[in-house]
Amino acid sequence: MARMKFLCDTERCIECNGCVTACKNEHEVPWGINRRRVVTINDGEKGERSLSVACMHCSDAPCMAVCPVDCFFQTADGVVLHDKDICIGCGYCFYACPFGAPQFPTGGVFGSRGKMDKCTFCAGGPGEANSAEQVRKYGRNRLAEGKLPICAEMCATKALLAGDGDVVADIFRQRMAYRGAAGLGTGWGVAYDKGLRKASGLDGKAAGKED
Amino acid sequence: MTDHPSRPAIPSEPRQHGVPPRVRARITRYLLALLAFVLIAPLVPYAAAYLGAGNVPNPGAGLWNEVRQRAGPADANTQARGVESAVLINQVGERWRQFRSEMLVPVGAWLLLGTLGFLALFWILRGRIPLEGGRSGQLVPRFSVNQRVVHWFAAILFVFLAVTGLVLLYGRFVLIPILGPEGFSATAAACKEGHNLFGPIFPFAVLAMIVLFLRGNGFNQIDLKWFFRAGGLLKGHPASSGYYNGGQKSWFWMVVLFGIAISISGLILDFGVFGQGREVMALAHVVHGGVAVVFIAASLGHIYIGTVGMEGAFESMSHGYVDANWAREHHDLWLAEMEAAGMVGVEPNALEEVKRHDNIDFKGFGSPGTKAVQG
Ligand code: HEM
Ligand code: SF4
Ligand code: SF4
Repeated sequence: MARMKFLCDTERCIECNGCVTACKNEHEVPWGINRRRVVTINDGEKGERSLSVACMHCSDAPCMAVCPVDCFFQTADGVVLHDKDICIGCGYCFYACPFGAPQFPTGGVFGSRGKMDKCTFCAGGPGEANSAEQVRKYGRNRLAEGKLPICAEMCATKALLAGDGDVVADIFRQRMAYRGAAGLGTGWGVAYDKGLRKASGLDGKAAGKED
Repeated sequence: MTDHPSRPAIPSEPRQHGVPPRVRARITRYLLALLAFVLIAPLVPYAAAYLGAGNVPNPGAGLWNEVRQRAGPADANTQARGVESAVLINQVGERWRQFRSEMLVPVGAWLLLGTLGFLALFWILRGRIPLEGGRSGQLVPRFSVNQRVVHWFAAILFVFLAVTGLVLLYGRFVLIPILGPEGFSATAAACKEGHNLFGPIFPFAVLAMIVLFLRGNGFNQIDLKWFFRAGGLLKGHPASSGYYNGGQKSWFWMVVLFGIAISISGLILDFGVFGQGREVMALAHVVHGGVAVVFIAASLGHIYIGTVGMEGAFESMSHGYVDANWAREHHDLWLAEMEAAGMVGVEPNALEEVKRHDNIDFKGFGSPGTKAVQG
């Protein structure tokens, strides 16, 4: 069975937030919940990079391990989903998650958070696929319709890849190979710094011209 | 074969099955060389990269260091508005989870079960510590109404918070198999709400305990001797003590320290509305959970000795008076003080009620209420 994975190529992400918008629109995500977000490092400076992040559907998921009511489950495709009818909104998955994926609709006093919400890899949740209830609670179930996540589908530069981990890795490996050998061919320096390009023997090969 | 004299006679080997040995050896050599090439070829770019790495830094290294925040907090930005939305990698999550799953849950379970086991063993070996001299019938006032009200307020709240807290900590292992996922979810949700709503009252109970029980709880030389004599718990080894003994004083100060720690950490967890991030929440949770299991284990000992473990102890907290013989056997120095003050042998009104209640014949489980009225 395929293991579903996301991958964001920092050499291509242009921080357009198209993935974020597509996700919010597809799943009618309530205000204040960011199933996906784009984070920019060194914004406006030389070396600026952006990364689109959501739940990474960890193979050995920390959220699953820590949930006191054990409401997570992993589908045959390796997608980590949870049952909102079981969740008690304790927030422990948010403390444990490496990527800040779990979101909560309210942040009230007395530890009230509401039911946790996170990226579903467009695979809905428990219950009948794309039933009114599933769509209301978890958003659309595109995987059940044979489609891949809307965020990656909408990505204008194809920075965000989603799908079978092996295929995603192959695509990325190809890009890396094209950009230069052994990890030296990435980064601002290679793209724009002539001296560095010469030193790494890449002079003449423009890093951005792979397609 | 032999009809070609111009050619040298071909040795008989080729008639054998297979390739001649010389050819075979050559093929083997080619194959080995090919294998070596296939194995080594992919390493060439890596080796080149390795040799070049000395003067060309990996341009990606800086970026990924910043993503992992190894080089301090990254200067990151995001359009998402939430707690720590601009943080790409959570720095505490893994350590916190390991603490909870590998320390708090198992060590807490062993501590709590171990304490219960120890108390059971003590019950079997020592049994109920009796009033050696029987009851004198002479009463000595011990705790005021205010003290008793505050004690029971704190105690009930403590037990409620302990039970609801332990359901969150151990329910996944103990209660899901019994109640099922839905049943346990409802239970856990109720426990969480109850814990989080009543928790913030606990600091007031701790404060009131400090105010009303501080007097007489300073440690002194007598406590040292008391500890050396194992608190007089072993038969025939009585230990002298004043109003409170060393064990009671230890429990009091434990309530003060643990009470404050659990209250502050609990309030931080309960009111996550001040933008506190995961680092603060995880730290508060470690303190809260760690203190909670030790606090609960210690309270088991306190509850044991105050109820079934020692004859005559419970009444000091129920109606506030103790028998003079109980005072003599457990708090001799205090009894001497009370005698000097002429406070031994008082007749409280409240006790009349209790006595009458004690005389009720419960045979047949009749309603004690009607009998009490008749009596
Ligand atoms: C000021 C008083 C207290 C407050 C405000 C408080 C608050 C909290 C909060 C907010 C949590 C996290 C649970 C959640 O949100 O779902 C928690 C967990 C917990 N509390 Fe308290 N609490 C208080 C006192 C106590 C006391 C007195 C005890 C024990 C005697 C206790 C034992 C626990 C335990 C065992 C947990 C579960 C930890 C876990 O599941 O990892 N708490 N408390
Ligand atoms: S919520 Fe976080 S911990 Fe859980 S699978 Fe997603 S990325 Fe992993
Ligand atoms: S918030 Fe919900 S999903 Fe997350 S750990 Fe708590 S109960 Fe589980």
